[in-house]
Amino acid sequence: MSHKKLTNIPFIYTSILYIAGLLLFLEWLYPVDEVTDTTFLGIFVIYTIFCFFISILQVRWWLSFLLKGFGIFFILNGVYSNYGFWSKHWFSEMFADFVFNIEVLIARQWFDLSNMFRTLLFLIIIWLMSYLIYYWFVQVKRVMIFSVLTFIYITLLDTFTVYNADWSIFRTFVIAFLALGIVNVLKEIQSESLQTYRLSTRPLWILPLVAIVLFSSVVGYAAPKLDPQWPDPVPFLQSAVNGSGIGTGGVIQKVGYGENDSTLGGSFVQDYTPVFEAFMKEENYFRVESKDYYTGKGWVNSNDGDYVEQVDLDITFETFSPIVESEPSELVLSFDERANIPKLIYPYGARHVVAQNEDVTLMLNEETGEIRTEIDNDAVNLSGYSINYDSPSYPIELMRKSGTPEDEELVRKNTRLPNNLPSRVGELAKEITVNHESQYDKVRAIERYFSGNGFVYQIENVPVPTDDQDYVDQFLFDTKAGYCDNFSTSMVVMLRTLDIPARWVKGFTSGEKIAEDVNELGEDVYQVTNANAHSWVEVYFEGVGWVPFEPTQGFDAPNNYAVDTSNADDVLDAPEAPELPEQDLEKPEQDAQDVFNPSTGEKDSKFEFTKTHGIILAVTLLVLIGLMVWKRHQLRVYFLERKMKKQKDAAAYQDAYHYVLRLLRHKGFQKEPDQTLREYAIRVDNFYSTDEMGRLTSRYERLIYQNGSTNIVDDELSNLWKNLIKKILG
Amino acid sequence: MQETMVYNEKISKVIDNINKVMIGKEDVAILSLVALLAEGHVLLEDVPGVGKTMLVRTLAKSLDCDFKRIQFTPDLLPSDVTGISIYNPKEMEFEFRGGPILGNVVLADEINRTSPKTQSALLEGMEEKSVTVDGVTIPLQKPFFVMATQNPIEYEGTYPLPEAQLDRFILKLTMGYPSLEDELEMLERTSKEHPIESLSPVMSKEELVLIQKEVRNVYIEKNVQQYIINLVRETRNHESIFLGVSPRGSIALMKAAKAYAFIKGRDFVLPDDVKYLAPFVLTHRIILTAEAKYDGRSARQIVEQVVKQTFVPIRKEF
Repeated sequence: MSHKKLTNIPFIYTSILYIAGLLLFLEWLYPVDEVTDTTFLGIFVIYTIFCFFISILQVRWWLSFLLKGFGIFFILNGVYSNYGFWSKHWFSEMFADFVFNIEVLIARQWFDLSNMFRTLLFLIIIWLMSYLIYYWFVQVKRVMIFSVLTFIYITLLDTFTVYNADWSIFRTFVIAFLALGIVNVLKEIQSESLQTYRLSTRPLWILPLVAIVLFSSVVGYAAPKLDPQWPDPVPFLQSAVNGSGIGTGGVIQKVGYGENDSTLGGSFVQDYTPVFEAFMKEENYFRVESKDYYTGKGWVNSNDGDYVEQVDLDITFETFSPIVESEPSELVLSFDERANIPKLIYPYGARHVVAQNEDVTLMLNEETGEIRTEIDNDAVNLSGYSINYDSPSYPIELMRKSGTPEDEELVRKNTRLPNNLPSRVGELAKEITVNHESQYDKVRAIERYFSGNGFVYQIENVPVPTDDQDYVDQFLFDTKAGYCDNFSTSMVVMLRTLDIPARWVKGFTSGEKIAEDVNELGEDVYQVTNANAHSWVEVYFEGVGWVPFEPTQGFDAPNNYAVDTSNADDVLDAPEAPELPEQDLEKPEQDAQDVFNPSTGEKDSKFEFTKTHGIILAVTLLVLIGLMVWKRHQLRVYFLERKMKKQKDAAAYQDAYHYVLRLLRHKGFQKEPDQTLREYAIRVDNFYSTDEMGRLTSRYERLIYQNGSTNIVDDELSNLWKNLIKKILG
Repeated sequence: MQETMVYNEKISKVIDNINKVMIGKEDVAILSLVALLAEGHVLLEDVPGVGKTMLVRTLAKSLDCDFKRIQFTPDLLPSDVTGISIYNPKEMEFEFRGGPILGNVVLADEINRTSPKTQSALLEGMEEKSVTVDGVTIPLQKPFFVMATQNPIEYEGTYPLPEAQLDRFILKLTMGYPSLEDELEMLERTSKEHPIESLSPVMSKEELVLIQKEVRNVYIEKNVQQYIINLVRETRNHESIFLGVSPRGSIALMKAAKAYAFIKGRDFVLPDDVKYLAPFVLTHRIILTAEAKYDGRSARQIVEQVVKQTFVPIRKEF
């Protein structure tokens, strides 16, 4: 059992074993490419191989430490810095980054960790894994745990993410079984102290093993299999987790601005990663685009529309008519480097944009109001710009008087509904508005309807409608619980059943005010995060244009209405209670691209943060579990010893003594049933060249064979016991 | 505990004495002592000349005991063992003359050569600790210890002891030939004067009786008793055994184990004691099936197998 015997085994075998460990570990890395947005997989793989290579060479520890550490900094330098490796700037840059991240860590602002730091942590984990696997595979020759963990990891990823592990499972199977086979033989050799000359240095005997494993793998692969008895565990698990019984339950997603709204619904977790900061005097809703076609499940655009270049960055898109009173204003947006929305985010009444980058062109979609930001026809994320806009005050009197719109095409487009929309939606809309004459009052009535009547705002446990369910119908009549998409879509659909032209708008609320009066213009700074992504409603009033309305509970659109003199309600906005997330229903990996992607330059992060984090967390957890399995004896010893010292009674000592027997059995010292403890102890003591087992045993004998032995546990005994266990485990 | 140590010294002196005479036979010496302390008797089965008689004599001499020897022959009568009432013409009445069975340590040499009638006179005395002659019951002396020998080779004109009587002996031992070194050593020692001549007693009768009493107080835990019972019951169910060990055998094993523990300086019995003694206590108490005999298996082998099959207790219910 002693490690010195390791030398008996030719280097080639330990190498083969360790390479198997490397291949298994690489199976852990491959999915990183697919489930996160990192483009560094190649680097990670190379670093892994590098670490494993150093480990197998068994160079002195300090040399190995230096080499591996050097490797990490070399990678960080190459990926994140423009300076040379030996440059002073690089060191100061790195130092500043460390200081920053350590502060962030202390503040537990996990989302603010820099990409470089995250990469560093990941590389360190790889480094540690190279040691751990060396220990597992080469030192103690225990392959099973890691193999099983690998299987669990791969199958979980296969089940719950887009990662397709078909081949990965196959590879893992072959490698794991080869490693198990080899390890078994090597263990046999060690425990029997076989002379190694019997082992040819040419590992020819492995060939039959390879053949058997390959054969069985191929047979297993080709053999007919039952269809899954449990087709997809995901919905089952979700309903089990949600447990609400409402609908089918939804996929938990992260809040953020998304592109795909064709399937709305599902739960969210908040994500307070900043998107941009706005310098402005008053709160504004930031519009990004609208959608006009409701499918019964979500929103799409009926046509893609044409994109028109905005000459001199003057915005030609208008939502309200010139007769609406407006006040010229200006605001400045400054984007977080992780934000990835290559579109203009603008307030109502936007007229002119001044971008930091002068090469930028703005392409307006006249249908939706989406304005793409491009340079040389490539979408870009702008780091900041200022917008001149006319802040509107909508005239309520005019809106009350406004008649039927004349533009039939506009009406047709914005009152379309799916044929299979349940009629009770329309009936409900009629019922709400039955006492109201003007279009404005009807709209207000429907808007107000959501503030009571049993509706609640929540982002968790929000179901996705089933195939035969309508999204709006489900919300209005079944669940009555949801977030902005539920409220806004329901309002648009109800208005449309009344033939009032309305459309669905996406963008951001004004976020949270983080500083006041920061410049000579008296502007305040608002921080807008992913959690501020939002959707609301625009209704068309003849002669006035598109007027925004806010049906979502807890939110108030900051737009002025001429009669209402104040926007006192605005105070209720942003920082207040349920911040309104705009959810995007995309799959998590797409989600990643939406907001947080590298903005410019290759040195920016390609990570999607929380996922990388997730993987790091998973690896850490697994390492922890591995540690616990590895250290299980120590844990057990600790508890037994505590019990023994606390209770000092015979039963505790009996347990402790039998634990020694169990350990010994694991080490191959099976006590025969007919063997007495004394005979057994002699055998054990002979092997370990000690007398401790004999002493322990004689105390134990007195305990169980002597009359009313007062032989309770004392320190000497527990020390003896611990020493012996150390010897056995050592 | 203090007393035990004193007695233990005495016991080791006895063993030392035996070692002086019997070279390399310490195990047999200890086993004989086990029988002595357990108030049992020993049957020594071996070929002539390996020192059976010498062993008994040495033991008797070390113990300061009355040593008697009966050489069993086919024409020996029960009264030759127990004694006889003889008419004393002077006193005009019958006077009892005690036989050799009235000694403390009795060597019954070649017990299987005499008639069952005479054998049973001895065996009854061993069991009852008394003999009845002419209607008078005479208690035997204390301590009373019989070592019987029998020769396994000569079958001509022998009367093998019936199994039912064999189990009056707590142990059945064999001496075996000495090893080369031991035999050389033996020649060396006996070339001038036989070492037995120089032996002096190291333990008195009274001490021996006290020790026998002490041995009965040796503690035996339930789980070890259970072990004994398991062993015995195993012999009753074994396929090669026609007749298993009787409850008397269980008691014998327990007594022997206590004595052995005492000799080893313990006041409690270990499963080790039981396991060690089982072959000596159980072998002569079982009758093998005809099949087993034809297969050439000996009772000793079967008992060893039984021991191997029986779990040693390693836990106690608290």
